[in-house]
Amino acid sequence: MQAEAGLTRVVHAVRELDLGERTSYDVGRLTVGEDSVRDLLRDPALAEVRLACASPGDSVRIVGVLDAVQPCSKGPGGGGVFPGLLGPALPVGRGETHVLRGAAVLAAGYLPRAQEAVVDMSGPAAPLSPLAATHNLVIEWTPAESADWADVDAALRRGLVRVAAHLAEAALEAEPDAVEQLAEPGGAASDGKPRVGVVLNLQTQGRFKDVFVYGRSLSGGLPTTIAPAELDDGAVVSGQYGHPALKNPTYLQQTHPVVAALRARSDELELAALVLCPEPVDQANKELVSAHAARLCAGLGLDAAIVTKEGGGNADADVSLKLDRLEEEGVTAVGILAEMAGRDGTGPPLVVPPAKATAIVSTGNYDERMTLPAVQRALGRERVALLDQPSTDELELPVAVIYCAQSTLGWGRLTCAETA
Amino acid sequence: MKLVHYVNQFFAGMGGEDSAGTGPELRDGAVGPGRKLAGLLGDEHEIVATAICGDDYAASHPDFAAELVAQARERGAEMIIAGPAFTSGRYGMACARIAAAASEAGLPALAAMHPENPGLGEAAGTAVVESGQTARQMKDSLERLAAGTLKLAAGEQLTAQDGRIGPVARANRMAQHSAAERAVALLLTRLGGDRDATEIPLPDFDSVTPAAPIADAAEAVFALVTEGGFVPAGNPDRLESARASKWVRHSLDGLDSAEVGEFESVHGGFSTQWANADPNRILPLDVAREMEREGAIGRLYGEYLGTTGNGTTVADARRFGMEWAAELRQAGIQAVILTAT
Repeated sequence: MQAEAGLTRVVHAVRELDLGERTSYDVGRLTVGEDSVRDLLRDPALAEVRLACASPGDSVRIVGVLDAVQPCSKGPGGGGVFPGLLGPALPVGRGETHVLRGAAVLAAGYLPRAQEAVVDMSGPAAPLSPLAATHNLVIEWTPAESADWADVDAALRRGLVRVAAHLAEAALEAEPDAVEQLAEPGGAASDGKPRVGVVLNLQTQGRFKDVFVYGRSLSGGLPTTIAPAELDDGAVVSGQYGHPALKNPTYLQQTHPVVAALRARSDELELAALVLCPEPVDQANKELVSAHAARLCAGLGLDAAIVTKEGGGNADADVSLKLDRLEEEGVTAVGILAEMAGRDGTGPPLVVPPAKATAIVSTGNYDERMTLPAVQRALGRERVALLDQPSTDELELPVAVIYCAQSTLGWGRLTCAETA
Repeated sequence: MKLVHYVNQFFAGMGGEDSAGTGPELRDGAVGPGRKLAGLLGDEHEIVATAICGDDYAASHPDFAAELVAQARERGAEMIIAGPAFTSGRYGMACARIAAAASEAGLPALAAMHPENPGLGEAAGTAVVESGQTARQMKDSLERLAAGTLKLAAGEQLTAQDGRIGPVARANRMAQHSAAERAVALLLTRLGGDRDATEIPLPDFDSVTPAAPIADAAEAVFALVTEGGFVPAGNPDRLESARASKWVRHSLDGLDSAEVGEFESVHGGFSTQWANADPNRILPLDVAREMEREGAIGRLYGEYLGTTGNGTTVADARRFGMEWAAELRQAGIQAVILTAT
């Protein structure tokens, strides 16, 4: 018998989070069993882990945020979520997945090459970050004495997804707040509605700057296509810690805002494909991947596509080249990009603009400063290295360090416009 | 109103490239094109002094602007005007910096240059009016500068109709909908036939014509420059690993090779593991010295210039480039090897 296409998302809302003896979920209240979570994080590379909670509105600043994950599970032991990392490396995106909406598990602390990444749970920066809107289990750690940083990174990545699956497992039998049917793109007639794709550029710059698809890097590969619902099941896991404002953590891949916005308008258009692309570091391969992605989109019969990126100015080229190649293939293309226009906002906004395509949505100017008020408590790192100030101080920082504030996956409302 | 007018060494009649290293000074009254400008401004305004600086000096000493503005204030300047700089990059940058420094000091200011002048971005929101491409269009350019000056002196703002050019500041704000929702809306608008809708008007980039090849490498002085975050071990200048706001220079005298323990890379955009295992991979000092000994190149310049190219704004990168070019030209360099990462 043919498997039923599509995913059923069983949603459990989290409205309260605390630490306790045993992990449980009860009508919006998630309790994290400290001992079981510590067991899941046990690894030779980690000497010690510390657990803390941070909820929306708290006077808490989380500094040095690495990845963040939404708790999800398809059954005991995760039932196959986070394939290639926790579950077997086999296609996901079908059946039932329980998610704890409104909760996240995140790691915060020092790793080499990880740039400053700040989440303020209250105050003026809070509306800029998706992780200021979730009840967060924050994992801090002390690395084992002789541990290689790559092993610390890998231990944290495995640990986060294990904990995420463990927390969601507590809700497997609970009455859901919502049950959502997510259709799988397929051969069904589209009633003349435009077929729209999402082109998702994934950073592939090596250690601490890579993204994993079914547990492996796309580095060196060509574009490929997966079903959007595979994202919901954790097929794409982030290991990229540069450019904090532009970061696309696992959490945003699982809840991909562009995919969600397209699903929300299914009466006007058809979400027809999700195309994953590596972001090569050299121009020739950027050209190759972009041309190949455009042909793939045309071959999938797309009328239009939205292109996103991860990373700084270098990755502007990955979006701009694709917008140009898509338009040449007759596919209407819209890019989402952050501006890098200097502190006063008068510089050229893009490092590499497209040559022909012109439809671009702005997630704001990376270089503009904002003042974050002092907070009562800091997690992750005691000092903000960029300013060499205690993390709890009042801080003047560029938007560039506010975690996910400018993610081109499009969660945020930040934008930029000419002043009058 | 009392005005101070800025011109470079060339328009002050002090000479061309050979005098480009001249430091800042203030001279009484109008000089060079300032004389014609004074006539156009009429009797109500007076150019009390002319501020002058060599183009290379101005490009490599950003403090010249604040220095000249302070001196101009001592002479009672109520407004500072600069140029026209036409398409001359270093002169345009100097005019833009003078105007920006005057604004910062609370004085109204205006510069004039061609819209393609790469110095335009340095004006930081201070008014700039369009000039012609070369001094052949001096008359029209001065007339536009004079008209703009009179309008500003009357307390009015300049607009595109006055020939105002240059970037208008863009500022962050919260939209009503998320970027994802706006992208879907923009896509539907485009599919509906609107081919122009966008949130970011595309910038125009100037293209640089590469210099002609050097005639004889064996006679040329070479400099090594890099954006690879290459610094002396311990990073004494605290060069940023991303979003660099500055560049550094360090001596290579007496060094045959960039050794581990003496240099490192602090670049935040790539894994520095292999760079730090052999810093010559970022700044190829070992090979350059070898070529110097073999006579394949004339001589290696005694310093390297470097910054970090990671999340750097185009405006900053352009500024670094112009400053480096001025420095190296002053130092008599004929060839530069820029290692990119």
